[in-house]
Amino acid sequence: MSTMFADTLLIVFISVCTALLAEGITWVLVYRTDKYKRLKAEVEKQSKKLEKKKETITESAGRQQKKKIERQEEKLKNNNRDLSMVRMKSMFAIGFCFTALMGMFNSIFDGRVVAKLPFTPLSYIQGLSHRNLLGEDYTDCSFIFLYILCTMSIRQNIQKMLGLAPSRAATKQAGGFLGPPNPAGKFS
Amino acid sequence: MSGGRRKEEPPQPHLANGAPKSSAWSKALRSDAAWEDKDEFLDVIYWFRQIIAVVLGVIWGVVPLKGFVGIAVFCLINAGILYLYFSSFQQIDEEDYGGTWELTKEGFMTSFALFMVILFNLQPVVDSDYFDKLEFFILRFGKDLPGHLDQSHLLDG
Repeated sequence: MSTMFADTLLIVFISVCTALLAEGITWVLVYRTDKYKRLKAEVEKQSKKLEKKKETITESAGRQQKKKIERQEEKLKNNNRDLSMVRMKSMFAIGFCFTALMGMFNSIFDGRVVAKLPFTPLSYIQGLSHRNLLGEDYTDCSFIFLYILCTMSIRQNIQKMLGLAPSRAATKQAGGFLGPPNPAGKFS
Repeated sequence: MSGGRRKEEPPQPHLANGAPKSSAWSKALRSDAAWEDKDEFLDVIYWFRQIIAVVLGVIWGVVPLKGFVGIAVFCLINAGILYLYFSSFQQIDEEDYGGTWELTKEGFMTSFALFMVILFNLQPVVDSDYFDKLEFFILRFGKDLPGHLDQSHLLDG
Protein backbone atom coordinates (compact mmCIF):
# COMPACT_ATOMS: atom_id res chain seq x y z
CA MET A 1 0.00 0.00 0.00
CA SER A 2 2.81 2.41 0.86
CA THR A 3 4.41 1.64 -2.52
CA MET A 4 1.13 2.41 -4.25
CA PHE A 5 0.83 5.70 -2.39
CA ALA A 6 4.37 6.60 -3.38
CA ASP A 7 3.60 5.73 -7.01
CA THR A 8 0.46 7.86 -6.97
CA LEU A 9 2.32 10.85 -5.58
CA LEU A 10 5.13 10.32 -8.05
CA ILE A 11 2.72 10.34 -10.98
CA VAL A 12 1.15 13.57 -9.73
CA PHE A 13 4.64 15.05 -9.48
CA ILE A 14 5.50 13.82 -13.00
CA SER A 15 2.32 15.40 -14.27
CA VAL A 16 3.18 18.76 -12.70
CA CYS A 17 6.68 18.61 -14.16
CA THR A 18 5.53 17.67 -17.65
CA ALA A 19 2.88 20.41 -17.60
CA LEU A 20 5.52 22.97 -16.61
CA LEU A 21 7.90 21.56 -19.20
CA ALA A 22 5.28 21.83 -21.96
CA GLU A 23 4.44 25.42 -21.00
CA GLY A 24 8.13 26.23 -20.70
CA ILE A 25 8.90 24.93 -24.17
CA THR A 26 5.89 26.77 -25.56
CA TRP A 27 6.97 29.97 -23.85
CA VAL A 28 10.49 29.75 -25.27
CA LEU A 29 9.35 28.91 -28.80
CA VAL A 30 6.07 30.79 -29.02
CA TYR A 31 4.76 32.95 -26.20
CA ARG A 32 7.71 35.33 -25.92
CA THR A 33 7.87 36.04 -29.68
CA ASP A 34 6.57 39.42 -30.89
CA LYS A 35 4.60 37.81 -33.68
CA TYR A 36 2.62 35.67 -31.25
CA LYS A 37 1.97 38.57 -28.86
CA ARG A 38 0.78 40.75 -31.72
CA LEU A 39 -1.47 38.06 -33.19
CA LYS A 40 -2.93 37.15 -29.82
CA ALA A 41 -3.77 40.76 -28.97
CA GLU A 42 -5.32 41.21 -32.41
CA VAL A 43 -7.41 38.03 -32.12
CA GLU A 44 -8.67 38.97 -28.66
CA LYS A 45 -9.56 42.48 -29.73
CA GLN A 46 -11.39 41.24 -32.83
CA SER A 47 -13.17 38.46 -30.92
CA LYS A 48 -14.52 40.85 -28.30
CA LYS A 49 -15.57 43.34 -30.98
CA LEU A 50 -17.32 40.64 -33.00
CA GLU A 51 -19.05 39.25 -29.93
CA LYS A 52 -20.39 42.71 -29.02
CA LYS A 53 -21.58 43.28 -32.58
CA LYS A 54 -23.35 39.92 -32.71
CA GLU A 55 -25.12 40.67 -29.44
CA THR A 56 -26.51 43.95 -30.75
CA ILE A 57 -27.47 42.77 -34.21
CA THR A 58 -31.18 42.14 -34.81
CA GLU A 59 -33.14 40.03 -37.30
CA SER A 60 -33.98 43.11 -39.32
CA ALA A 61 -30.33 44.21 -39.58
CA GLY A 62 -29.36 45.45 -43.03
CA ARG A 63 -27.38 43.43 -45.56
CA GLN A 64 -24.49 45.82 -45.18
CA GLN A 65 -24.22 45.16 -41.45
CA LYS A 66 -24.34 41.41 -41.98
CA LYS A 67 -21.69 41.64 -44.68
CA LYS A 68 -19.50 43.68 -42.34
CA ILE A 69 -19.79 40.96 -39.69
CA GLU A 70 -18.94 38.28 -42.24
CA ARG A 71 -15.84 40.23 -43.27
CA GLN A 72 -14.79 40.55 -39.64
CA GLU A 73 -15.34 36.84 -39.08
CA GLU A 74 -13.19 36.04 -42.10
CA LYS A 75 -10.44 38.33 -40.83
CA LEU A 76 -10.62 36.69 -37.40
CA LYS A 77 -10.47 33.22 -38.94
CA ASN A 78 -7.32 34.18 -40.85
CA ASN A 79 -5.68 35.56 -37.72
CA ASN A 80 -6.61 32.42 -35.78
CA ARG A 81 -5.07 30.30 -38.52
CA ASP A 82 -1.86 32.32 -38.35
CA LEU A 83 -1.84 31.95 -34.58
CA SER A 84 -2.21 28.17 -34.89
CA MET A 85 0.67 28.07 -37.36
CA VAL A 86 2.86 29.92 -34.87
CA ARG A 87 1.97 27.42 -32.14
CA MET A 88 2.69 24.49 -34.47
CA LYS A 89 6.43 24.81 -33.78
CA SER A 90 6.04 24.15 -30.08
CA MET A 91 3.56 21.35 -30.73
CA PHE A 92 6.14 19.41 -32.72
CA ALA A 93 8.85 19.99 -30.11
CA ILE A 94 6.57 18.96 -27.26
CA GLY A 95 5.27 15.96 -29.19
CA PHE A 96 8.81 14.76 -29.74
CA CYS A 97 9.78 15.23 -26.06
CA PHE A 98 6.64 13.64 -24.76
CA THR A 99 6.92 10.60 -27.00
CA ALA A 100 10.30 9.88 -25.48
CA LEU A 101 9.12 10.63 -21.93
CA MET A 102 5.95 8.55 -22.21
CA GLY A 103 7.93 5.63 -23.59
CA MET A 104 10.23 5.83 -20.59
CA PHE A 105 7.42 6.15 -18.02
CA ASN A 106 5.41 3.36 -19.62
CA SER A 107 8.34 0.99 -19.30
CA ILE A 108 9.00 2.06 -15.68
CA PHE A 109 5.38 1.59 -14.62
CA ASP A 110 4.62 -1.35 -16.88
CA GLY A 111 2.45 -3.91 -15.09
CA ARG A 112 2.38 -1.84 -11.86
CA VAL A 113 -0.83 -1.04 -10.06
CA VAL A 114 -0.38 2.62 -9.18
CA ALA A 115 -3.74 3.27 -7.52
CA LYS A 116 -6.99 1.62 -6.51
CA LEU A 117 -10.11 3.04 -8.04
CA PRO A 118 -13.04 3.51 -5.64
CA PHE A 119 -15.33 2.09 -8.33
CA THR A 120 -15.24 -0.40 -11.20
CA PRO A 121 -14.97 1.65 -14.40
CA LEU A 122 -17.22 1.14 -17.40
CA SER A 123 -16.05 -1.48 -19.87
CA TYR A 124 -14.85 0.96 -22.53
CA ILE A 125 -12.71 2.77 -19.96
CA GLN A 126 -11.23 -0.44 -18.59
CA GLY A 127 -9.01 -0.68 -21.67
CA LEU A 128 -7.28 2.45 -20.44
CA SER A 129 -7.58 2.11 -16.67
CA HIS A 130 -6.43 -1.52 -16.63
CA ARG A 131 -3.87 -1.23 -19.41
CA ASN A 132 -0.98 -3.71 -19.22
CA LEU A 133 -2.12 -4.93 -15.80
CA LEU A 134 -2.49 -8.57 -14.87
CA GLY A 135 -5.57 -10.03 -13.23
CA GLU A 136 -9.27 -9.36 -13.46
CA ASP A 137 -9.57 -6.79 -10.68
CA TYR A 138 -10.65 -3.75 -12.66
CA THR A 139 -10.35 -1.43 -9.70
CA ASP A 140 -6.59 -1.64 -10.26
CA CYS A 141 -5.41 1.52 -11.96
CA SER A 142 -2.62 1.72 -14.52
CA PHE A 143 -0.11 4.54 -14.94
CA ILE A 144 -1.61 5.95 -18.11
CA PHE A 145 -5.12 6.43 -16.70
CA LEU A 146 -3.89 8.22 -13.61
CA TYR A 147 -1.49 10.31 -15.68
CA ILE A 148 -4.28 11.39 -18.02
CA LEU A 149 -6.47 12.42 -15.08
CA CYS A 150 -3.59 14.30 -13.47
CA THR A 151 -2.81 16.10 -16.72
CA MET A 152 -6.46 17.05 -17.22
CA SER A 153 -6.60 18.67 -13.81
CA ILE A 154 -3.09 20.00 -13.35
CA ARG A 155 -2.17 21.30 -16.81
CA GLN A 156 -5.29 23.40 -17.26
CA ASN A 157 -4.88 24.91 -13.78
CA ILE A 158 -1.22 25.70 -14.38
CA GLN A 159 -2.06 27.37 -17.69
CA LYS A 160 -4.72 29.50 -16.03
CA MET A 161 -2.50 30.37 -13.07
CA LEU A 162 0.27 31.51 -15.39
CA GLY A 163 -2.22 33.39 -17.57
CA LEU A 164 -1.32 31.35 -20.63
CA ALA A 165 -4.77 29.97 -21.42
CA PRO A 166 -6.35 31.52 -24.52
CA SER A 167 -9.19 33.95 -23.85
CA ARG A 168 -12.72 32.61 -23.95
CA ALA A 169 -13.84 34.99 -26.67
CA ALA A 170 -11.01 33.87 -28.94
CA THR A 171 -11.74 30.22 -28.21
CA LYS A 172 -15.42 30.65 -28.95
CA GLN A 173 -14.88 32.45 -32.25
CA ALA A 174 -12.10 30.14 -33.34
CA GLY A 175 -13.90 26.89 -32.60
CA GLY A 176 -11.26 24.21 -32.99
CA PHE A 177 -8.29 26.45 -33.82
CA LEU A 178 -7.54 27.96 -30.48
CA GLY A 179 -9.25 25.44 -28.22
CA PRO A 180 -7.36 24.42 -25.12
CA PRO A 181 -4.90 21.66 -25.84
CA ASN A 182 -6.34 18.17 -25.54
CA PRO A 183 -5.53 17.33 -21.92
CA ALA A 184 -6.03 13.58 -22.43
CA GLY A 185 -3.39 13.38 -25.13
CA LYS A 186 0.28 12.91 -24.47
CA PHE A 187 1.08 15.57 -27.04
CA SER A 188 0.27 19.16 -26.17
CA MET B 1 -29.09 38.69 0.28
CA SER B 2 -28.46 42.34 -0.25
CA GLY B 3 -31.34 44.06 -1.95
CA GLY B 4 -29.46 47.34 -2.31
CA ARG B 5 -28.58 49.07 -5.53
CA ARG B 6 -25.65 47.67 -7.44
CA LYS B 7 -22.69 49.99 -7.06
CA GLU B 8 -20.76 50.76 -10.23
CA GLU B 9 -17.12 50.06 -9.61
CA PRO B 10 -14.17 51.10 -11.75
CA PRO B 11 -12.99 48.16 -13.87
CA GLN B 12 -10.04 46.36 -12.29
CA PRO B 13 -7.21 45.06 -14.45
CA HIS B 14 -7.80 41.38 -15.14
CA LEU B 15 -5.78 38.71 -16.85
CA ALA B 16 -8.21 37.27 -19.40
CA ASN B 17 -8.92 33.59 -18.61
CA GLY B 18 -6.39 33.46 -15.80
CA ALA B 19 -6.13 33.87 -12.06
CA PRO B 20 -8.50 36.56 -10.78
CA LYS B 21 -6.94 39.54 -8.99
CA SER B 22 -7.50 39.99 -5.25
CA SER B 23 -10.19 42.59 -5.93
CA ALA B 24 -12.16 39.94 -7.82
CA TRP B 25 -12.03 37.64 -4.80
CA SER B 26 -13.32 40.37 -2.51
CA LYS B 27 -16.16 40.93 -4.99
CA ALA B 28 -16.79 37.20 -5.14
CA LEU B 29 -17.43 37.08 -1.41
CA ARG B 30 -19.79 40.04 -1.55
CA SER B 31 -23.40 39.39 -2.34
CA ASP B 32 -24.84 40.97 -5.49
CA ALA B 33 -21.53 42.46 -6.65
CA ALA B 34 -21.24 44.18 -10.02
CA TRP B 35 -19.22 42.30 -12.64
CA GLU B 36 -18.26 44.52 -15.59
CA ASP B 37 -15.77 41.96 -16.89
CA LYS B 38 -17.57 38.69 -17.64
CA ASP B 39 -14.30 36.79 -17.91
CA GLU B 40 -13.46 37.79 -14.36
CA PHE B 41 -16.67 36.28 -13.01
CA LEU B 42 -16.19 33.12 -15.07
CA ASP B 43 -12.67 32.78 -13.64
CA VAL B 44 -14.10 33.08 -10.12
CA ILE B 45 -16.62 30.33 -10.95
CA TYR B 46 -13.78 28.21 -12.34
CA TRP B 47 -11.58 28.54 -9.27
CA PHE B 48 -14.48 28.01 -6.86
CA ARG B 49 -15.15 24.75 -8.69
CA GLN B 50 -11.55 23.66 -8.19
CA ILE B 51 -11.72 24.48 -4.47
CA ILE B 52 -14.96 22.48 -4.14
CA ALA B 53 -13.31 19.56 -5.95
CA VAL B 54 -10.37 19.57 -3.51
CA VAL B 55 -12.62 19.78 -0.42
CA LEU B 56 -15.04 17.10 -1.61
CA GLY B 57 -12.16 14.90 -2.79
CA VAL B 58 -10.68 14.96 0.71
CA ILE B 59 -14.06 14.29 2.38
CA TRP B 60 -14.97 11.50 -0.05
CA GLY B 61 -11.52 9.96 0.38
CA VAL B 62 -11.56 10.05 4.19
CA VAL B 63 -15.19 8.89 4.73
CA PRO B 64 -14.70 6.92 2.27
CA LEU B 65 -17.47 7.20 -0.30
CA LYS B 66 -17.00 4.62 -3.03
CA GLY B 67 -18.83 3.65 -6.21
CA PHE B 68 -20.59 5.62 -8.90
CA VAL B 69 -23.05 7.00 -6.36
CA GLY B 70 -20.21 8.93 -4.74
CA ILE B 71 -19.21 10.39 -8.09
CA ALA B 72 -22.81 11.26 -8.99
CA VAL B 73 -23.26 12.99 -5.62
CA PHE B 74 -20.07 14.96 -6.22
CA CYS B 75 -21.35 16.15 -9.61
CA LEU B 76 -24.68 17.19 -8.09
CA ILE B 77 -23.10 19.03 -5.16
CA ASN B 78 -20.53 20.74 -7.39
CA ALA B 79 -23.16 21.93 -9.85
CA GLY B 80 -25.68 22.73 -7.13
CA ILE B 81 -23.41 24.85 -4.93
CA LEU B 82 -22.23 26.95 -7.85
CA TYR B 83 -25.76 27.32 -9.17
CA LEU B 84 -26.88 28.68 -5.81
CA TYR B 85 -23.84 30.94 -5.75
CA PHE B 86 -24.41 32.63 -9.09
CA SER B 87 -28.19 32.65 -9.10
CA SER B 88 -29.00 33.42 -5.47
CA PHE B 89 -25.87 34.95 -3.93
CA GLN B 90 -24.52 36.95 -6.87
CA GLN B 91 -27.95 37.24 -8.56
CA ILE B 92 -26.43 37.50 -12.01
CA ASP B 93 -28.39 37.28 -15.23
CA GLU B 94 -27.42 33.87 -16.67
CA GLU B 95 -28.27 35.03 -20.18
CA ASP B 96 -25.39 37.50 -20.05
CA TYR B 97 -23.05 34.51 -19.78
CA GLY B 98 -24.69 32.29 -22.38
CA GLY B 99 -27.16 30.57 -20.07
CA THR B 100 -27.05 28.35 -16.98
CA TRP B 101 -25.39 25.53 -18.90
CA GLU B 102 -22.36 27.67 -19.85
CA LEU B 103 -21.90 28.64 -16.22
CA THR B 104 -22.35 25.05 -15.06
CA LYS B 105 -19.78 23.62 -17.43
CA GLU B 106 -17.17 26.32 -16.70
CA GLY B 107 -14.27 24.35 -15.26
CA PHE B 108 -16.43 21.30 -14.55
CA MET B 109 -14.30 18.65 -16.28
CA THR B 110 -11.11 20.00 -14.75
CA SER B 111 -12.66 19.98 -11.29
CA PHE B 112 -13.92 16.44 -11.86
CA ALA B 113 -10.46 15.25 -12.85
CA LEU B 114 -8.97 17.02 -9.80
CA PHE B 115 -11.54 15.38 -7.54
CA MET B 116 -10.63 11.94 -8.91
CA VAL B 117 -6.90 12.53 -8.49
CA ILE B 118 -7.34 13.53 -4.84
CA LEU B 119 -9.63 10.55 -4.24
CA PHE B 120 -7.09 8.13 -5.72
CA ASN B 121 -4.31 9.68 -3.68
CA LEU B 122 -6.20 9.32 -0.43
CA GLN B 123 -7.38 5.77 -1.10
CA PRO B 124 -4.14 3.97 -0.14
CA VAL B 125 -3.67 6.23 2.91
CA VAL B 126 -7.15 5.56 4.27
CA ASP B 127 -7.03 1.84 3.44
CA SER B 128 -3.65 1.38 5.12
CA ASP B 129 -2.80 1.55 8.79
CA TYR B 130 -1.17 5.00 8.61
CA PHE B 131 -3.84 6.55 10.80
CA ASP B 132 -3.58 3.69 13.29
CA LYS B 133 0.21 4.11 13.49
CA LEU B 134 -0.18 7.86 13.93
CA GLU B 135 -2.67 7.36 16.74
CA PHE B 136 -0.38 4.81 18.43
CA PHE B 137 2.58 7.18 18.15
CA ILE B 138 0.65 9.98 19.80
CA LEU B 139 -0.64 7.72 22.57
CA ARG B 140 2.72 6.00 23.16
CA PHE B 141 4.80 9.13 23.39
CA GLY B 142 2.11 11.28 24.88
CA LYS B 143 3.54 10.77 28.38
CA ASP B 144 6.40 13.11 27.43
CA LEU B 145 3.93 15.81 26.54
CA PRO B 146 2.57 18.45 28.94
CA GLY B 147 -0.13 17.07 31.25
CA HIS B 148 -3.16 18.25 29.34
CA LEU B 149 -1.89 16.60 26.10
CA ASP B 150 -0.83 13.30 27.69
CA GLN B 151 -3.17 10.57 26.46
CA SER B 152 -0.86 7.62 27.26
CA HIS B 153 -3.25 6.36 29.98
CA LEU B 154 -5.51 5.27 27.11
CA LEU B 155 -2.92 2.59 26.20
CA ASP B 156 -3.36 0.88 29.57
CA GLY B 157 -6.00 -1.81 29.92
